[in-house]
Amino acid sequence: MRAYLIRRILLMVPVVLGVTVVVFLIIHLAPGDPVLLLVGERAPPEIYERVKHAWGLDRPLLTQYFSFLGNVLKGDLGMSIQMRRPVAELLARAIPVTLELGVAAMGLAVTVGVVSGVVSAARAGSATDQVTMVGALLGVSVPGFWLGQLLILLVAVELHWLPPSGYGGLKYLIMPALAMGFADAALTARTTRSSMLEVIRQDFIRTARAKGLTERVVIYRHALRNALLPVVTLIGLDLGYLIGGAVIMEEVFGRPGMGRLMIHGILSRDYPVVQGCLLFLAVSVALCNLLADIAYVFLDPRIRLQ
Amino acid sequence: MSLFRNRRLRLIVVGLLSALFVLTLSFGCAGKQAAGPGSEKPKKGGNLTMGFDRETDTFDIYQMTWGSGQEYVYESLTTRDWDYKVVGSLAESWESTPDGKTWTFHLRKGTKWHDGTPFTSKDVKRYYEVMLDPKTAAANALDWTWIKSMDTPDDNTIVFHLDSPFPNLFGKTSNSYGSIMNPDAYAKYGPDGTKEYGTKIAIGTGPLKLKEWIPGDKVVFERNPDYRWGPLFVANKGPVWVDTVTFKTIPDAATRLAELETGNVQILANVPVEHYDRVAKIPNVEVFKEPAFGLGYLAFATDKKPFNDPKVRQAVNLAVDREALVKSVFFGLAQAAYGYLPPRTPEAYQDTAAIRYDVAAAKKLMTEAGYPNGFKATLATQNRTEHVRVAQAIQPMLEAIGIKTEIVQYDEAGYKDFLKAGKQELFMRQYEWDNADILQWFLYSRQVPYPGHSRWADRKTDELIDAAESAITPELRAQKYVELQKYLIEQSVWSPLWYPMAITAVRTDLVGGFKPFPGGGNVVIFDLWMKKNVK
Repeated sequence: MRAYLIRRILLMVPVVLGVTVVVFLIIHLAPGDPVLLLVGERAPPEIYERVKHAWGLDRPLLTQYFSFLGNVLKGDLGMSIQMRRPVAELLARAIPVTLELGVAAMGLAVTVGVVSGVVSAARAGSATDQVTMVGALLGVSVPGFWLGQLLILLVAVELHWLPPSGYGGLKYLIMPALAMGFADAALTARTTRSSMLEVIRQDFIRTARAKGLTERVVIYRHALRNALLPVVTLIGLDLGYLIGGAVIMEEVFGRPGMGRLMIHGILSRDYPVVQGCLLFLAVSVALCNLLADIAYVFLDPRIRLQ
Repeated sequence: MSLFRNRRLRLIVVGLLSALFVLTLSFGCAGKQAAGPGSEKPKKGGNLTMGFDRETDTFDIYQMTWGSGQEYVYESLTTRDWDYKVVGSLAESWESTPDGKTWTFHLRKGTKWHDGTPFTSKDVKRYYEVMLDPKTAAANALDWTWIKSMDTPDDNTIVFHLDSPFPNLFGKTSNSYGSIMNPDAYAKYGPDGTKEYGTKIAIGTGPLKLKEWIPGDKVVFERNPDYRWGPLFVANKGPVWVDTVTFKTIPDAATRLAELETGNVQILANVPVEHYDRVAKIPNVEVFKEPAFGLGYLAFATDKKPFNDPKVRQAVNLAVDREALVKSVFFGLAQAAYGYLPPRTPEAYQDTAAIRYDVAAAKKLMTEAGYPNGFKATLATQNRTEHVRVAQAIQPMLEAIGIKTEIVQYDEAGYKDFLKAGKQELFMRQYEWDNADILQWFLYSRQVPYPGHSRWADRKTDELIDAAESAITPELRAQKYVELQKYLIEQSVWSPLWYPMAITAVRTDLVGGFKPFPGGGNVVIFDLWMKKNVK
């Protein structure tokens, strides 16, 4: 296990490195010039050149890449061109905002999704099952931004229960987490249900029932554990999607998180910001996949990590 | 599926869906209630929140290319009153020598910086010296190159020496991009210091101090308790009534409206025209419409075939139905444009005879230019909703005279790059500026390729601009600019389309003392007070 972990972590290095190369190339080769945005419409060419030089953007691309890489290894993510602040400082402020939303939405999705999936499967064909599955169908079909707008109109504007936008505390978190977690909960519910139905039909469940175990023990201890494998895969893959969802939710609910930071960075061709954000994303997605793989072992002893 | 076999279930589902639909509809149609009578006497305290889609890029005036809120932190030598006339701010009075080459400004006594140190003429001198120092690479240095040298005979007097008369001097000293920062603070925390100037530290003489700025979230200003020198045109010349002012950044327009509806935001600037009806229906909200200082126009790469032919440009000009455009794209919340400068600028010139809608005349010109069957061209635009819709509305109008266009969209950064690289043919642009010198920025030959995106390099234009910018009196300057505009219209360098409108929504049940400022851009803070504190 330890050898496997070390190897996996070492393997992450080329992956992350590859991501930085691709990101660096794409953003630098895309049309758009951060200096033009920085100096504005009216600056004379001398000033344009001076600013370009000051940010090191007149150097060859390869030199710029290696200096970026060198700085990252020293723990320096550079300065934001547009916001004139260290990228690390911007990230440190934005990451918790997104993480909070991601964790809340994911928590909601997993609890609601798994519980309703299990209940649905255990009572397959019943009215409960049908209501749950209609709900799940709605959840998968309704776009998050629309649900977000609807929640704002209903909960904030009409009922005055929660503030429409902003950040800082639970009251700002509930609506975006709901809007974002709904689709994920639906997907998790559907996956859990079908996976459970498959497991319930297997021999070892019949054996467990034959031993005289209560239905609760059969479902939650024997069946669920096995049924969770595809759910864990789904959750692992979902993390990347979650950041994408956060981008939209942060726009709708005006949350100053990573998504907003990245969009702003991309639109203003703020290279250091985009590179910093994507570096963080690459590392975290790689880590989440590793965690999902480790989770398999605990769920299914037949899987061995070597 | 057994889903829809269950009738009760089917009813529930259909019922839920219809309820959702009805709810969605009804939110958009809430009735308007009259604002209740409140106490009309200003009172101290409370927190004012305003909603914006975009935040300032910095509070460092040297580097600022997009500012908002700087007029609260800093002050300039002069400012504008409710009639947009130049009035004193940091300077109380001024005079010039008859040749217009020496200007003496008498500064207000007793003015203090936010850090408590007195404001002196030496600060002003140093501030401009740093601005004009090439090492600073100030984005706004161009505005101040008319300063040849400065004298400070005493702490309250600053003398500017110029090489030639500069009638636009007050245009510069009254602009918030020309506000004055504390040079000591800049030296200490500026680019050579800890680099926190402009993001965390901003020292001015204004009525508000920068308290906190969370990028992408909000900028919070607090009252400057020592402020005593409010401009003449406001009632309250002392510290502002409110405790804090927050600029909240909310990118989504619908969410901004929701914040206004809940009262969390009390003033919403730049309401998009498509949301006007919804805002006007919100109870206790008053909506102010002001002609903004700006122009949306269609421009040409004037050095490229077929747009190097003035007849083709004139034909395009005649093919556009501006009134229809204003009605359909802007719901009437804009003005059709018949000139190159917003009507409120003193140099403005409108020509409804030359810039008109006349398809027959346009077709005739196309034939004369040698394009009886028209031609194909790209119509480029930035991906702003309004601009894309204008482009879509113009497309069939141009097709009517044989010009088949393909609309290409770019984001802001990509668009500027595209224009600088000279890839444009027909393209949409909009400027927001209150001064005739905008024509210098875009149409002076030195400015090609960027920002001279029309690629207009023309000796007569240069001569007229030079004459205007060095005229002795503002009247003479205006006269020269009118002459220039007549020439530009004759050459059809641009096709002016619309003058935008600034729409500001105010919760009059929560905020007292609001009065719209000409152009709609700035919210004058001095007389604003909170009727009820929201937080």
